Amino acid sequence: MKLILSDRPLDIKITGDHIRYIDLSLLKIANCIGCFGCWTKTPGRCVIRDDAVKVYPLIAASDAVIYVSRIKYGGYDTVMKTMLERAIPVQQAFIQILNGETHHVQRNVLPKKATIIAYGDMSGGQRKLFERLVSRNAHNMNFESYRVIFADEGQLDRKVAEEVAKWEE
Amino acid sequence: MGRVIILNGSPRAPRSNSKRYAEIFSENPKTEYHNIARTNHLTLCDRLADFSDLLIVFPLYADGIPVTLLNFLKTLEQNPPPEKPVVSVLINCGFLEYRQNDVAVDMIKLFCKQNGYRFGSVLKIGSGEAILDSPFKFLVARKIRKLRASILSANYRELHVTMPLPTRTFVRASTSYWTEYGKKNGVTKEQMSTMDIEKEIEK
Ligand SMILES: Cc1cc2nc3c(=O)[nH]c(=O)nc-3n(C[C@H](O)[C@H](O)[C@H](O)COP(=O)(O)O)c2cc1C
Repeated sequence: MKLILSDRPLDIKITGDHIRYIDLSLLKIANCIGCFGCWTKTPGRCVIRDDAVKVYPLIAASDAVIYVSRIKYGGYDTVMKTMLERAIPVQQAFIQILNGETHHVQRNVLPKKATIIAYGDMSGGQRKLFERLVSRNAHNMNFESYRVIFADEGQLDRKVAEEVAKWEE
Repeated sequence: MGRVIILNGSPRAPRSNSKRYAEIFSENPKTEYHNIARTNHLTLCDRLADFSDLLIVFPLYADGIPVTLLNFLKTLEQNPPPEKPVVSVLINCGFLEYRQNDVAVDMIKLFCKQNGYRFGSVLKIGSGEAILDSPFKFLVARKIRKLRASILSANYRELHVTMPLPTRTFVRASTSYWTEYGKKNGVTKEQMSTMDIEKEIEK
């Protein structure tokens, strides 16, 4: 399965049901409260039963993802970051060594090719920092490879369509 | 009035490790402490005017700053105090390597640069989920006092601390820590180790 997660509406045509497109701005997702229930009470399941629980199983089951997010302070802006924080039920509490560093064990999370498309104000070192962030994410979110693309907001539909076309090749 | 105001950006601020770190910092009485909540952003923005130094205490969340803090910074950007305090950071993360906090610290530095705040000191804590209840608590306490001294003397500096353990030993210790955590909830290590993620619920 392949997944497009966007923090804003996109005008894109999806063919085939192996691709899922989710506009996070239409969903109701509260922020993670750090209760660790998904690790220590109901493993694999978030205690907050809002729309995020429809999304993290899809993240886990995808071997390719496109994440579209506004950039803020060199990171994901609120909508995308809220979802990424709510995705920790896909990991175990337990820690392993990965590339010499400590990281959580993933549950059934497919290794994925990730394309991260960031848009918005890119001034003052935001791009460099964002690239470093995604390289950190790669370890914790099971990206086997990733690309970061910076785009104008007006180009997003076209950029996403180009990336989806690569999936179809 | 004190010189330092502490804002806690943990999403579980009232029960957070960040709060416990802030308490060690505040053994010195000249601080004012607040949890960042969804509803108090503007009040906190107003309070900043009275302090020369702001210490933001928060956990690493998904390799960056938690949404709780991100949203506060966005409000602060729109509602800056007339006099801007120097911004220092006390960050903790669950993993052993304190350097995993670097990106989040640089996000705060970027906020400062974009909004005309001077960046002050930083203390990066690794193994921050468990270190306060470990024999290594004194190491953190010592670093927090150094952080405080650096802020109070305006000799700003970068500090870090983590458990002085080989990685493998840390992994074993963390496995015991989390196994105990589950046990208190009546959940076994095997249950916690499930590879299953709840199935997608119909839209
Ligand atoms: C949603 C979520 C994401 C987290 N992401 C990370 C991470 O990327 N790296 C890390 O080392 N620890 C991570 N942690 C662990 C916390 O940083 C750690 O438990 C910390 O001690 C929490 O501090 P607090 O009690 O002050 O909130 C995460 C925890 C949660 C709940």
